[in-house]
Amino acid sequence: MLQAHSFLWNYLWVAPNLFLLLLSVFLWKRGFVRVFPGFLAFAILSSLGEIAAFLADIIPSVSPDNFWRVIWAGLLVESLLKFVVIGEIFSRVFRPYPSIARTGGTLVSGFGVLLVLLAAIVAGLAKGDSVVHIVATAHLLEQTVFIIESGLIVFLFLFAAYFHLSWDRLSFGILLGLGISSCEHLATWAIIANISPSEHVRTLIAFLNMAAYHVAVLVWIYYLAFPGKPPKGKPPKGKPPKEPTIRLPETDLAVWNREVERLLHQ
Amino acid sequence: MTLAIFLVVFAVIALLVILSVSRSLRQRDADLPGIEVIDVEAFRNLVNPAENEYLHRRLPAAEFRRVQRERLRAAAAYMRVAGRNATVLVAIGQAALAAGDEKTAEAARQLVDSALLLRRNTTFVLMRINLAIAWPTLGPSAAPVLSGYERLNHSAMLLGRLQNPAVPVRIASLS
Repeated sequence: MLQAHSFLWNYLWVAPNLFLLLLSVFLWKRGFVRVFPGFLAFAILSSLGEIAAFLADIIPSVSPDNFWRVIWAGLLVESLLKFVVIGEIFSRVFRPYPSIARTGGTLVSGFGVLLVLLAAIVAGLAKGDSVVHIVATAHLLEQTVFIIESGLIVFLFLFAAYFHLSWDRLSFGILLGLGISSCEHLATWAIIANISPSEHVRTLIAFLNMAAYHVAVLVWIYYLAFPGKPPKGKPPKGKPPKEPTIRLPETDLAVWNREVERLLHQ
Repeated sequence: MTLAIFLVVFAVIALLVILSVSRSLRQRDADLPGIEVIDVEAFRNLVNPAENEYLHRRLPAAEFRRVQRERLRAAAAYMRVAGRNATVLVAIGQAALAAGDEKTAEAARQLVDSALLLRRNTTFVLMRINLAIAWPTLGPSAAPVLSGYERLNHSAMLLGRLQNPAVPVRIASLS
């Protein structure tokens, strides 16, 4: 079962991409392109790229060199779009808060530069796992992209958690799926690019990668296709607005009042 | 091999961070702490440059460094409480943002903005205080935090008044 080109292999390679393509069509029809154009482009192009890679793998007339060219092209487009998606989420989460948006922008840029440097150093130190140049560089590029991507995603999660910012369901779902997938892929590409494992281990790793991507696609389907509960305090249509669930307690109000009076009299 | 282990460990930690932060995001309103009282006056004294200067002149160098470290540790404790309070107010403001009433929503927006600014400033000042604990002669600048705290007070009062008009708010009679 855990062998290349088994039923499970083919399912894990094709199904998540078909699901993602269907999700893209569904989201397109609901006007999602105005909200997250980057994610929609990523969903459509990356799933088409993976399906193209699958076809290149099973069609006998496609040479190994051409198969790797397809992989390379898909990898470049997908990597670029993933960073566009991260930028999209960042601006969506932080734009409503002008007091920290600039600080956040500066910090994320600085951290991004550090990650690029780190990824470049790590790529320079890597031995490479194949004598075929196009294969070894593709693996190194995967590792480099996932170092930067997972670092940026962790940074966004930590920054938002530190400031106790609320996330909308869509942004949270997209970043969670991307985060799970990128961390798992980073670990596996690090093993492939630096240890040169046996063919059997490579096959198992490929299963793990495809399964993680499948989980990410299911996370996206759950968060994007199924609407969540309305935000706390938001009244249903036609009903009078309810009071917010968290109120400023009266005792705390008195404390604030005392402090304000003290400051006003100085 | 070492590089691969390093990257795998990095990836596992990153995944754990993402999952734990995601979990805490889902349930954070349930364990929201209360607002703690801060004596702004006492804090102001602790970070007053004139007071630092006076102590610097009056005390021997070693004694000044010891006293200054104690004062800075106390100031850091105030900063941490101010930061926690700001976090609580961000949550309160965000919950009120969805209110149907436009005035309340606007007051909530102001509160969230001021609270975030204070949270950011407390972080920066805490860094400076920690630096000053290592080199006590530096002395931290707390001006952005104090002004942030005043702005936050105003926003919190405004939101409280809009949410609960029955509670007497004395700021109105002062202005």
